[in-house]
Amino acid sequence: MKQFIRSYAWEGTLVVLIVLAAIWSSTLSPYFLNSVNLLNSAAFFVIFALMAFGLFPIVVQGEIDISLASTLAVGAVLLANLSVAGIPLVAGLLITLLVCALLGAINGILVAVAGLPSLAVTLGTLGAYRGIAYILAGDAGITGLTPEYTQLGSTWVGAVPATVVLALVVAAGFGVLMGFTRFGRASYAIGNSAKASRMGGIAVIRNRVIAYALAGAMSGLAGLVWVSQYQSARGDNADGSILFVITAVVLGGVSIKGGSGRALGVLLSLVLLGTLQTGMKLANVPGTSQTLVVGLLLVASIGLPRAYQLIRARIAAHRPAHARTAALEDATPA
Amino acid sequence: MSSITRRGSRIWKGAAALVAGALLLTACSSTPPSAGGDDAAAGGEDVKIFMAPKFTGLAYFEVAREGGEQAGEDLGFTFDYIGSDKPDATEQIATLTNAIPQAPSALVVSAIDGDAVAPALKQARQQGIKVVTYDADAAVDARDLFVNQLSYELAAQTMLDAALLNSPEGGQVAFISASPSAPNHTAHVQIMKELIDTDPKYSSFSYIDTVQFAGDDAQKSQDIALNLIQANPDLKVIISSSAVSAPAAQQAIINAGLQGKVFATGFALPSSVKDFIESGASAAFALWDPAELGYVASVAAYQLATGEIKGEEGETIDAGDAGTYTIGKDGEILYDKPLMFTAENIGDYDF
Repeated sequence: MKQFIRSYAWEGTLVVLIVLAAIWSSTLSPYFLNSVNLLNSAAFFVIFALMAFGLFPIVVQGEIDISLASTLAVGAVLLANLSVAGIPLVAGLLITLLVCALLGAINGILVAVAGLPSLAVTLGTLGAYRGIAYILAGDAGITGLTPEYTQLGSTWVGAVPATVVLALVVAAGFGVLMGFTRFGRASYAIGNSAKASRMGGIAVIRNRVIAYALAGAMSGLAGLVWVSQYQSARGDNADGSILFVITAVVLGGVSIKGGSGRALGVLLSLVLLGTLQTGMKLANVPGTSQTLVVGLLLVASIGLPRAYQLIRARIAAHRPAHARTAALEDATPA
Repeated sequence: MSSITRRGSRIWKGAAALVAGALLLTACSSTPPSAGGDDAAAGGEDVKIFMAPKFTGLAYFEVAREGGEQAGEDLGFTFDYIGSDKPDATEQIATLTNAIPQAPSALVVSAIDGDAVAPALKQARQQGIKVVTYDADAAVDARDLFVNQLSYELAAQTMLDAALLNSPEGGQVAFISASPSAPNHTAHVQIMKELIDTDPKYSSFSYIDTVQFAGDDAQKSQDIALNLIQANPDLKVIISSSAVSAPAAQQAIINAGLQGKVFATGFALPSSVKDFIESGASAAFALWDPAELGYVASVAAYQLATGEIKGEEGETIDAGDAGTYTIGKDGEILYDKPLMFTAENIGDYDF
C-alpha cells in the first residue's frame, strides 16, 4: 500500500488538483457542469493529447522534440491535399502517417546518429517542416475536403466524441508501450543513462529513432483530427501549440531530465489543463490571466516534487529513526 | 505491516478531509461569481454580445473593442470582450467553442483562420447565435454578415497613395505581409502589383516580386526591413498592410539612419506613427477608424439579434453618427472609410 502511494503520489496529486480545478471552474461559470459542453471541450484537446503522447517517450529518453506542431501542419495539409485529389482515406492516412513518421525519423537520426542536441535539431526542423506545410498548402489554404476525411470529427460513440475515444485508446496504447514492452524499458534505461544503457547492450540509436518516428506519426494522426474537426488545412495550423504539449508532458510527471513518468500522468495532466482552460474560457477570464495560471502551474509542478524531496531530506537528517514514515506524513498534505 | 496500513489510512483520511474542506470552502464562495452568469441567463430579452478579436492585447483590437463598448452603451446591450492573448487559431476556436454554452445573442469575430473557425461558428449559428465578422472574414456560410473595413481594391489604392505622398517621384517598392495565410494581406499585395503594372498613376513605381512575411511581429518586421534595405540599394518604399510591420519598418529605417531616403508606409495606428510623421521622417500612413468599425459591427450584430434586420442583401443598417450601410452580396457590408494620416491631421487622432 505504502509503495503504491509512494509510486503514484504524483498521479494522486493530479487527481486532487483536477477535482479542485473542476470545483473552481464550476464556481467560475454556471455553464461548466454541462456534460455536452464538457465533452465538446474534451474533443478540443485531442489534437494536443496525441502530440503529447507522441512526445512522452522522447522526454522519457531524456530528449525533446519541439517540431511536432510543424509536423502536424504537414500532416493536415497533406491529408487535405490527398482528400481534394480524391485519394481514399485509408490510403491517404497511410501516406500521411508514413511521411510524418519519416519527418520524425529525420529528427531521430540527427539526434541519435549524428549526436546533435535535440533542442537545436528540432528547433531547425520546426522551421523547416513549417515551411514544407506552407508550400504544400499554398497561400489560401485548403478547403472542400471530402466527407470521408472529415467524418471522424462529427462521429459520436454514444455521447462521447469519437476523437476523444481515439485519444483514450492512444493513451492506453502508450501506457502499454512504455510499461510492458522492451521499447518502454529501454526508454527509461536510456533516460537514466544513455551511456550505461549502451554498455548494457541496449540499442540506443534504434530506440531513439523509433521514439522520434512514433512522435512524428502521432502528429500525423493529430493532423487527421485537425482536418476532421476544422474541415480545412493551412500552413500555420497548430503554430505555437508545442508549448502546451510540453507543459502537458512535464506536468504529467515526466521528468524533463528523462528516465521517469507514466502515460497515466500525461493523461491526467491533460485533463487538468483542459479543465482549467475550459473553466476560464467559459468565464471569459482575460487571455493574459489564463496564460499566467497555466505558467504558474507548470512552475509548481517542477517545484513541488523538489520541495518535497528537500523536506524529506531535512527531516531524515534530523530524525534518522523515523525518517521515512515521518517524512511521508509531513509531505502528504502539501 | 499493520502500523503502516493504519498510517496509510490516516493519510487518506487527512487527504479526504482536505478535499472536503476545499469543497466546503468553494461551495461557500460560489454564490457571488455565479450570480452574474445567472443574471444574464435569466433576463430573457437582454441582448448579450461577445466580441472575439483575433487575439487580445493588440492596440488595434483594443480600439475596436472601445467601439463595441460604445455601441453597447448607446443601444443598451451587454458587451463582453473574449479571447486569448496568443495569436493561435486553436486558441480562438477554444474561445468560440466555450462562448456557445454561454448563449450570447451574437458573436462579433475577427477570424484568425476563417476556415478553421467555421465549424465552431456554424455550431453557434445552429444554436440561434448571430455571427458578424469584422476586420478578417470567416467562410461565408459560417457567418451572417461581414463588415469589411476597406474593399481590397480601395485598401491597395490607399496604401499606394500613401507611398506616393512619401516618395512623389516613385521608385522601387517592397512588401511585408503578416503570413501567407492572411487572405487580406495576400490580396492587397496582389492588387498593388497589378495597379503598379497597369495604372498610369502608379507607373513611376516598380516592385520587388518576393513578399516577406513578418507575422505581425515588431522585432521580425524590423529585421526584415533592414535586410530589404541592405539587399536593395534602390529601394524607396516598404509597404505593409500589417499595423505592426509598417511602423516597425519605419523604425528600422530610422535606426539605419536612412530617413528621408527610404520610407515605410501602409496601415498603422496613428499613435504608433505620430512621432515619425511629426519629425518628418515619414509623410503619410493610412488606416481606417477601428473604433467605428467595431461600433458598426456591433450595431449590425445587435440589429440581427433583435430581428430588426435579417442579414439579407439590400437591407440597410443605421449606425447613427457612424453612418448608414447597405448589405451587399454574400452578406458583406463595406465600411470603406480610409483615413490618411499626414502632418496636417495626425494630431486629431487619439487612437
